[in-house]
Amino acid sequence: MRQGTLIFILLITLYACGQPQKNKADYPLQVGDIYFDSKIDDPNFKLCDEDRVFQYYNFGKGLLYNGEKLKLNEHFIDGLKITEQKDESGFLTIRFIVNCEGKTGRFRVQGMNNDYKEKIFNKDLTNQLLSLTKQLDGWLVGEDEGKTFDYYQYLTFKIKNGKLIEIMP
Amino acid sequence: MKFILFTLILIFPISTYSQPNCNVYQMNNDQPCYEACTLATTGGGAQGSRKSQEKFDRAIEQCPKLDYAYMEKSVPYLKRGDFITWKILIDKAVELNPTGHLGYRGWCRYQFLRDYEGAIKDLERLDSILSYDIGYSINGDYQLNIAKALCYKALGQKSKAVEIIENQLAQKDYTPMTYDYLHLGVLKMETGDTDGGIEYLKKSITFNDYLAEPYYYLGLIYKKQNLTKEFKGYMEKAKTYYLKGYKRFDPYTHPMDKVYLADIERELKSGE
Repeated sequence: MRQGTLIFILLITLYACGQPQKNKADYPLQVGDIYFDSKIDDPNFKLCDEDRVFQYYNFGKGLLYNGEKLKLNEHFIDGLKITEQKDESGFLTIRFIVNCEGKTGRFRVQGMNNDYKEKIFNKDLTNQLLSLTKQLDGWLVGEDEGKTFDYYQYLTFKIKNGKLIEIMP
Repeated sequence: MKFILFTLILIFPISTYSQPNCNVYQMNNDQPCYEACTLATTGGGAQGSRKSQEKFDRAIEQCPKLDYAYMEKSVPYLKRGDFITWKILIDKAVELNPTGHLGYRGWCRYQFLRDYEGAIKDLERLDSILSYDIGYSINGDYQLNIAKALCYKALGQKSKAVEIIENQLAQKDYTPMTYDYLHLGVLKMETGDTDGGIEYLKKSITFNDYLAEPYYYLGLIYKKQNLTKEFKGYMEKAKTYYLKGYKRFDPYTHPMDKVYLADIERELKSGE
């Protein structure tokens, strides 16, 4: 009897494990969460609180960058060395985290064409934009009532024929 | 606490945008959609959280025609830079309810992506469907024809932009919005109509004297006219206002015709 009960419990457990958990695994804790990936992320980049990473807009101050958007624009306009390339049009977005010390890490790239479909941009253009993004050193710390927070930031580059047209947000 | 309040304030306008009246489904004896609608509108979960996204999924599963759930589910992707997923979801909302979401999608294409052509397409399509006013941007800053004009301006069609704004301002029942005169003044300045530029930038100040921008652009006009005293006066005022926090601001993106402190300081330095 005891053995039968054990087998029953084991079978029930196995059955439960085999059931697909609809939706649950599909979403991160928060839309857009970037988890550490040892293959691509710098292990020395640390967060203050892994479980509490805000979005840049949560602080209600817009883009948190020393010298404002203008400085950021200048950085890319001055640094980007690209010749005109036909068919290289759309939007390239780089998402990352600014930690509570103002340092950046966990960069992720997403390319999109003008029809909002996934697009892989030319490697050189992508690498240049990623490298320039990593070089940005004017990020301000996310603060509220004397406390500092980690936050997600993204930069979207509007590209037309390989040329940088605008930077968002 | 202040932080939480601010976040709630930011979320509130989006959450309540075109919130459906769930009783309509009940009146039509559509119990599944009534329940799904109630779940989507009152089911809880912070915007973008797993709980919230799963709630919208359940609502959609129960009532596949519930455009509101698609729209709300799309919002965190937009705000967090995943525009591919945002577009898939908002397109579904538009497909189910074009008049309810075309204006929103068009505005977002302008605000978040500077997709001027796409925004114009959506706003003009909405205009062709409706026989009444096409409505306002979700942040309440613009009547959508003014937003459309800004898109035309960005595409280099400045005269057309002027025409659209003037036409909107001339509408019988239209009450000008906070930035209408500023944009019209800048456009007039940029198209060589200096008197028009001065007129509307001053009108912008009379209408809403909490912005550095009209002072900055007036300063530029006077600089071009070699009126040094006026130029310096307006630029100094622009700087004072800017430092007081009187400036164009959007928590998500940078607004058109916004000026930065470095712009003002560069001009002041040039006049030394």
